[in-house]
Amino acid sequence: MALIKRLYDWIDLRIGAREIVKKELTGYLLPRNINEWYSLGSVLLVIFALQVVTGMLLMVYYVPDAEKAFKSVTYIMNELPYGWLIRLCHAVGSNMMVAVLIMHMLSTLFMKSYKSPRELNWVTGFILFTLVQGISLTGYLLPWSQLSFWATTVATNSAAAIPVAGPYLVEFMRGSKLVGPPTLGRFFAMHVAVIPAVIAGLIGAHLFLLKRTGISTPPFGTKEPAATWSPESYRYESHPGGIPFFPNYALQDLTSISVYFAIFLAVVFFAPNLLFTPDAFVPANAFQTPAHIKPEWYFLANYQTLKIFPSELLGLSVQAAAMTFLALLPFIDRSPERNPMKRPVFLVCFVGGFLLWIGLSIWGHYS
Amino acid sequence: MTYLRQLRRSSLRPALGALSLAVLAALAAPQPTHAAAEAPAETVCIQCHGSLPDRLGAPVKLWRTSIHSENGISCNACHGGDPKDAADAMNRSRGFLGAPKEPDIPAFCGRCHPGVLKDYLASAHGRALGKGGPTCVTCHGNHAVLKASLDLINEKSCTRCHSFERARIIKEAMQQTEGHIVGIDRKIKDYQAQGVDTERLGKSLFAVRNRFHTLFHEVNVTKVKAESNDINTELGKLDRDLKVVDEARAKRKVAGACAVAGALVLALLFHLMKKSYD
Repeated sequence: MALIKRLYDWIDLRIGAREIVKKELTGYLLPRNINEWYSLGSVLLVIFALQVVTGMLLMVYYVPDAEKAFKSVTYIMNELPYGWLIRLCHAVGSNMMVAVLIMHMLSTLFMKSYKSPRELNWVTGFILFTLVQGISLTGYLLPWSQLSFWATTVATNSAAAIPVAGPYLVEFMRGSKLVGPPTLGRFFAMHVAVIPAVIAGLIGAHLFLLKRTGISTPPFGTKEPAATWSPESYRYESHPGGIPFFPNYALQDLTSISVYFAIFLAVVFFAPNLLFTPDAFVPANAFQTPAHIKPEWYFLANYQTLKIFPSELLGLSVQAAAMTFLALLPFIDRSPERNPMKRPVFLVCFVGGFLLWIGLSIWGHYS
Repeated sequence: MTYLRQLRRSSLRPALGALSLAVLAALAAPQPTHAAAEAPAETVCIQCHGSLPDRLGAPVKLWRTSIHSENGISCNACHGGDPKDAADAMNRSRGFLGAPKEPDIPAFCGRCHPGVLKDYLASAHGRALGKGGPTCVTCHGNHAVLKASLDLINEKSCTRCHSFERARIIKEAMQQTEGHIVGIDRKIKDYQAQGVDTERLGKSLFAVRNRFHTLFHEVNVTKVKAESNDINTELGKLDRDLKVVDEARAKRKVAGACAVAGALVLALLFHLMKKSYD
């Protein structure tokens, strides 16, 4: 212990470590009525880190070549010591990341944490959501299985609905007329380099904004004095008399992360096939279309929406409008009231919208 | 009002950025379009005959139920011709063979199944070819070609030509082996659907199954029994290989249970520690 203290003193003398700890951990005060939902951001950070680590390990053995990709994944899953664990953690982790991200967004929506002055926090978070969907989609092709090949064929083909530029856009995404080796090269580059870099940058921006605006006060539970914000000047939302981030809320973060790991590991070890169909283990064959290609669960609502509308362009436009509405919500919903119980119209829209999304997803699954 | 105007102006850029991303996100979602349109088209034989009535269309309906259809073997694989050109699909200069005459049927099928042809010709059935004996299609069907299995040896089918007595003895001798093969095949398929590399096991089973199928045309009961024993020994090796996979997966589940329990214990511990600070 004495050695650790001496080391800490040595570091403190040079970089002022005690001051940082006081400011960012023990002296960083959070609202007294902060709840468990606020810890989902930390869970997401852990998931992202795990995805990066498992992704790097997979890259050691994965071969991004249409001739070798499937075999390399088969090798990782069957021959490489603990390769199955790394790959399953990566594949299950990508789905869990989307699920936790959706929960994080829903809780932000419900507690109205997107409202002024946190518009930029919401927008960066929303962009992160689309990028996580993008990284999942590009990663889906990499095993070069029947499932990944045909799901990508269907996904990239959707852009063809755009008037005039559509067919060119499809060819640009695929790198050829049909999904083939050039598509794998493009998707691999996007999956391992471009999108992760942008996601990392945006996570940094999201955290920076969080630090600059301060943590929002939940609209229910023990009431703190209502935070007022004057648009004429910048103000950090502090919480005098609040609970310290360390150790109090850090322990909540660790509790949530442990619960997440329990669920995540249960899927990895006991139900990994929840996320794979048998076509995921058959090598891609451009001449044999599997009978029922369905997108991943988080795209099922989009998939079903397009089936409802008679025209593809109309279906795409409706989805784009819905996504745009959600992205711009902080600029549309300007009411200062943050308690959902005092906003019945919002509550009905929130619950109705969520149930509609679930309903469309279930319909898409069984259609 | 001034504030609102300021806010609107300042929010325009992120709004436009978000709008572009939202549109891209909507586009990135998989859409249920054109998967079928991008799949290779069916052969012109299927396209044309599939829409024809009665005798001309019936083969297509039968073929769709066949093992050939299941394995992607279309009309041209047997009957020749050009499957991509409707005008010349049945042109003899493009290799069209048409339907074989009865004595030519074994040779017709034997182009792809040479081993089976050899077994058949050596059997009592094959020796009776052209003298009222059965050809391949007598038992296996022609367009609705059935997968080779013991079910093909049945009283209804065999008694069309002779008594079922000897066929029943042979079938009984092979029944256990057939069941064994079917069980291993199911297990291999289950594992394949879970991402286990079953290529080697599948190939081994394929070889054993082929060896077993050579007995299907054999009518010597003693030979069938002896061969079945040898085949069962081979199947025992596959059973042992599958058991290794079973054990590895069981170990994973034990490790998984420990990991999940560990995470839950940590969650409880952190929760209690947090409570002590509240």
